[in-house]
Amino acid sequence: MAEVGDRGQRRGTWQPWALLSPGVLWLALFFLVPMLTLVRVSLSEQANRFTQEFEFSWRFSNYTDAVSDYAGIFGRSFLYAGLATVLCILIGYPLAYVIAFRGGRYRNLLLGLVVVPFFTSYLIRTIAWRTLLADEGPVVGVLEALHLTSFLDTLGLMENGRLLATWVAVVGGLTYNFLPFMILPIYVALEKIDVRLVDAAKDLYSSAPRAFVKVTLPLSLPGVFAGTLLTFIPASGDFVNAQYLGGPRQTMIGNIVQNLFLVQNRYTSAAAISFILMIIITIAVLVYARFLGTDELAA
Amino acid sequence: MTARRVRYARVSRRQFLGRAGMFAGAVALGPGVLAACGGDDDDGTSSGGTGSGGTGGGGGGGADKLVISNWPLYIDPTEGDTLGTVDLFTEETGIDLTYTEDYNDNNEFFAKIQPDLAAGTPIAQDIIVPTFWLVARLIDLGWVEPLPLDQIPNAANLVPSLQKPSWDPDGEFSLPWQSGITGIAYNREAAGRELTSVGDLLDPEYKGKIGLLSEMRDTVGLFMLYTGEDPSTATFESAQPAFDVIDKAVQDEQIRQFTGNDYQTPLSNGDFVACVGWSGDVAQLALEDPNLEFIIPEEGGMRWSDCMVVPTGAANVAAAAEWMDYVYNPVTAARIAAYVGYISPVSGVQEELAKNPDTAALADSPLLFPDDATLENTFVFANLPDSEEAQFDEQFAEISKS
Repeated sequence: MAEVGDRGQRRGTWQPWALLSPGVLWLALFFLVPMLTLVRVSLSEQANRFTQEFEFSWRFSNYTDAVSDYAGIFGRSFLYAGLATVLCILIGYPLAYVIAFRGGRYRNLLLGLVVVPFFTSYLIRTIAWRTLLADEGPVVGVLEALHLTSFLDTLGLMENGRLLATWVAVVGGLTYNFLPFMILPIYVALEKIDVRLVDAAKDLYSSAPRAFVKVTLPLSLPGVFAGTLLTFIPASGDFVNAQYLGGPRQTMIGNIVQNLFLVQNRYTSAAAISFILMIIITIAVLVYARFLGTDELAA
Repeated sequence: MTARRVRYARVSRRQFLGRAGMFAGAVALGPGVLAACGGDDDDGTSSGGTGSGGTGGGGGGGADKLVISNWPLYIDPTEGDTLGTVDLFTEETGIDLTYTEDYNDNNEFFAKIQPDLAAGTPIAQDIIVPTFWLVARLIDLGWVEPLPLDQIPNAANLVPSLQKPSWDPDGEFSLPWQSGITGIAYNREAAGRELTSVGDLLDPEYKGKIGLLSEMRDTVGLFMLYTGEDPSTATFESAQPAFDVIDKAVQDEQIRQFTGNDYQTPLSNGDFVACVGWSGDVAQLALEDPNLEFIIPEEGGMRWSDCMVVPTGAANVAAAAEWMDYVYNPVTAARIAAYVGYISPVSGVQEELAKNPDTAALADSPLLFPDDATLENTFVFANLPDSEEAQFDEQFAEISKS
């Protein structure tokens, strides 16, 4: 017995590290090192915007300037990403529920259908929306036929009878593009639930909705939490949807970073903004984890 | 001029040539349309070698090799038995030419090659084809080689108006590939009238239906003409009225979008009534939809050139010179011009096109050969010193991304 225990312990000392090392190395090389570079650049001064010479000078004004210049756009990005995430939960949860509990033998097929859009490039899917939402396209055409355009205009859901280049199109595009990232984790969480727990709740005279709220929903929350992270984080930094479905007044922070890096060559400002984005998202995620209380992830 | 050629469907190009009487025969729609959708931003679709990896390094350095990056659909391809310029060149010279169409956007391409060139590492390409203002920047940074003009006798065919241009005052670093004009593209049916001026873009009747180019010099240049300033001597101060006009138009929701090369779809499907556009593109679109028209506004238009340059440290300068000499032969230049539909910088092209009955119609095209009056009313954006260019870029970004 003792021998076995020893061996187990000895194995325990090096094996986890061996298994971890590819991941740790990967993270160190492709996450930690770039991040440190990013922090360094974000606190540097760029003498010439065409050369890569950065003078590290604790230049915090890169940060304060970024906040004062782009606070509104930060806010807009998180608003859009938040709306898209909520929409994804509202659309994705029922869908995942149906696939998990009512899918029967079509389960895998239905899951496959959720993933099918990924077979087309992200960019093409977004550009395809331009055709769908075009002023003389099918969606606006139907709304016009139903005489809904002026009503939607007053609600602020359309602008001068158009959908493209409005916030609705951008949030819609974000929702559409990130929906599978919400559905899949929720599905996995729901699928693990032992249906006998629900049966037990009903045996104890719980109504179906109450059984859902007391049993199914809490057990599926880790899935919702994971889905939220997978949706909200990339959506906040996204620039494709705002670029192709939005107008100049729907700019998101991703567009600013893209422009600063690739057009203006202002690396220090771009790095500062990227880092601010990272900090805000980290804080938001921690707060969210605390409130949603999924022990495994928040611990 | 950002990525102006990416969304060219080969279909429209073929139709254009068909009308011009060059090619007869049916047009395969499928692949062209897909290419038109897919090309966007998806850079590096044709093989790699963009130097973004950082260690491209000259591609081996053999004297009989040559690597060129050019804008998409900017040269005649081999079609069936008719060899295109790339294959003809390979056949005649035996040089192993890698011609990639991975130059989609000036700023983006610059951002890619910048780390290498700044560090003094040669990039993979022997020739790249930036737009004139970027040529000026590259010369300024010392990131391009002087051309061995003694090995390029055909360089003498460069049209006089482009000799020693503002962006390369001694004419020793660059040779123009093609030139074009920036003006206004509009949908006549949707506009309900003839548009004639930049001011028409501000007509409240077209609120939310106007597109501007994200290429700063094109958009700001046109609005400088509108405010009565000369873009060819632009300073940050003299551009302020133009910036104000654009800013107000954005705040008033007059401007729907700032686009790159992707302005063509909104224009043809009615999302835009009018937008700032490029001569060749719109003329092609007009063949598909006769309602679309390109005009040089009465205030004037902007003129640009994309130029061949040799990045510093390029491994195959001799082969690069041979290529430039080859494409500056009027026969070759005429073949390229007939395909791309822009303004060729090589003299003798018009005569060459007129000789052949198949291409004679093109020799009279104002699109390929604008008259002097037209050229006089078009302006090349001023050569901006770096600090001033940074101010322009910043203010333009502020306005277009509010």
